[in-house]
Amino acid sequence: MSPLVLGLLVAVVTILVLMSGAPVAFSLGVVALGFLLVFDGFGALSILPDIFYGGLDSFALLSIPMFILMGGAIASSRAGADLYEALDRWLTRVPGGLMISNIGACAIFAALSGSSPATCAAIGKMGVPEMRKRGYPAGLATGAIAAGGTLGILIPPSITMIVYGIATETSIGRLFLAGILPGLMLTGLFIAWGLFDAWRRGYQFAGEGQHFSWRERLVVLPKVGPFLIVIAGILWVLYGGVATPSEAAGVGAVFCILLVMVIYRMTKPAALWHMLRDAMRESVMILMIIAGAALFSYMMSSLFITQSLAIWIGELEVNRWVLMGCINIFLLIAGFFLPPVAVILMTAPTLVPIIETAGFDPIWFAVMLTINMEIGLITPPVGLNLYVINGIAPDVPLPTILRGALPFMLCMVVGIVLLCVFPEIALWLPRVLMGPQF
Amino acid sequence: MTLFIATVRRLSTLCGYLSVALLLAAVLVVCHLVFVRYALGQSAIWQHEFVTFSLVGATFLGSPYVLMIRGHVNVDLLPLYLGKRGRLGLALFASGLSLAFCLVVMWTGWGWWHEAWAKGWRNETVWAPPLWIPWLSLPLGMALISLQYVADILALLTGRAKPFGPLVTGAEGGGEGP
Repeated sequence: MSPLVLGLLVAVVTILVLMSGAPVAFSLGVVALGFLLVFDGFGALSILPDIFYGGLDSFALLSIPMFILMGGAIASSRAGADLYEALDRWLTRVPGGLMISNIGACAIFAALSGSSPATCAAIGKMGVPEMRKRGYPAGLATGAIAAGGTLGILIPPSITMIVYGIATETSIGRLFLAGILPGLMLTGLFIAWGLFDAWRRGYQFAGEGQHFSWRERLVVLPKVGPFLIVIAGILWVLYGGVATPSEAAGVGAVFCILLVMVIYRMTKPAALWHMLRDAMRESVMILMIIAGAALFSYMMSSLFITQSLAIWIGELEVNRWVLMGCINIFLLIAGFFLPPVAVILMTAPTLVPIIETAGFDPIWFAVMLTINMEIGLITPPVGLNLYVINGIAPDVPLPTILRGALPFMLCMVVGIVLLCVFPEIALWLPRVLMGPQF
Repeated sequence: MTLFIATVRRLSTLCGYLSVALLLAAVLVVCHLVFVRYALGQSAIWQHEFVTFSLVGATFLGSPYVLMIRGHVNVDLLPLYLGKRGRLGLALFASGLSLAFCLVVMWTGWGWWHEAWAKGWRNETVWAPPLWIPWLSLPLGMALISLQYVADILALLTGRAKPFGPLVTGAEGGGEGP
């Protein structure tokens, strides 16, 4: 059987096994093991533990649980609500300030927590009722928060970027920097759409302002400032090449836990335990997928599927943008069904050689991939953010949230197109701050 | 039967505690590493390895607990469209498939671990810790997760748990997470 036919067979079997509802980690393992046994014989069994264990045996992976812990600490406190309040108080005089506060708070909180559902929950709890109270349509209010939450996986520090960096041996510092400007661009696009849509429906921006004294404005700063300093510190340490991501994340996690304990008096053992347990649950889930994916990519390259696929696509001589379009559609569909981390681990090791052959930059591709995954977060059937918003605002039906989120998805598609036309949006910052690649 | 399921759940819960402890140890040691390297300007000897071993250990040993609380992410699209019997059948199939994988990894993992233990393999570094200690986490974790799968399948077959349903706690005892 030619490696290409084999590749097709692997794809079909993987989809079938995933659809059975078995955990992603074990599905990948089962498929990898099955194909290795059938096509490589029982000798594959002897290297099985080495590869499964080896998939996790890396100091760089430590940054994943550390960033999860850091985000978990922030998400379990009232920091989200305070951040929202701070922005609202400072932007109250700006026309459309409420929309800007909401999406801006999502962007900042997304960066702090690194988690999309946590962002939706933290900002949405305050933001959705407030926007509706001040007259924004329910669909727009919920859609904006659902979309704003997705920024968590693009704006650094982002878990999906770390996973991409590890899966494709790309610099995590560079990936983080590459996510900043596209993240700000999407934030801007979301705000622009939010304001335009509200204006189009005859919303009166002038009437929304509440008045806050300078004292009220200043009093919220000490609560959110320290967290922002920690994030800025981590980014500075990373791009300055001072420390590795794992070291920065470890120290950042401890700082954030201490800040939460000091600022929000979160010192009850039960609360701390819940925070640690949730971080453990999420890390174990992601790391097990990484171990399963290690086996999967070993199988793919051991059976020459990865290599043959790259050569075959190279020989097709299709226009590189047609190729990129097809890859985007493929990623988009995968993102509808699977969480971002799983999609990246399954596809990136195969896709990156292909796109590099076609002359695309893997750092730029990471940003494209991530935006595709963001769209998946607000589309059914998996669209986690939609369900979180539905939980916050139970009186808004799911289809209304979905309709509200749809234009924001189009904003992301516009973002993808802009990135294709101007790749520098992603590549400029890493180059300026870290020097040219290689 | 109830006793078996409850015992397995207690074991998995214990794994959850252990995993959190290992994660916490990794956090503290990485801070120690940063202090030694950047504040004292000395080179770190054992910290990188220790942290990596803790992390792998936390993952494999935490896995049974995460399975018990339905924390391993899956694609649960198909079950939504199936009837009661179909859901049960699919849940049994998915659990059986995963169990088979875990058993194979456990089986090969024991041999792999035993070789490291019997031959006294050490990591080829300055610290040179014996490898059987961190490597034990793989076969042990896989054995415990297999047990949790057996308990889950039994719970499905005896109607104690709903296929792809939320976690059923209380009735069997020991079901409360840590």
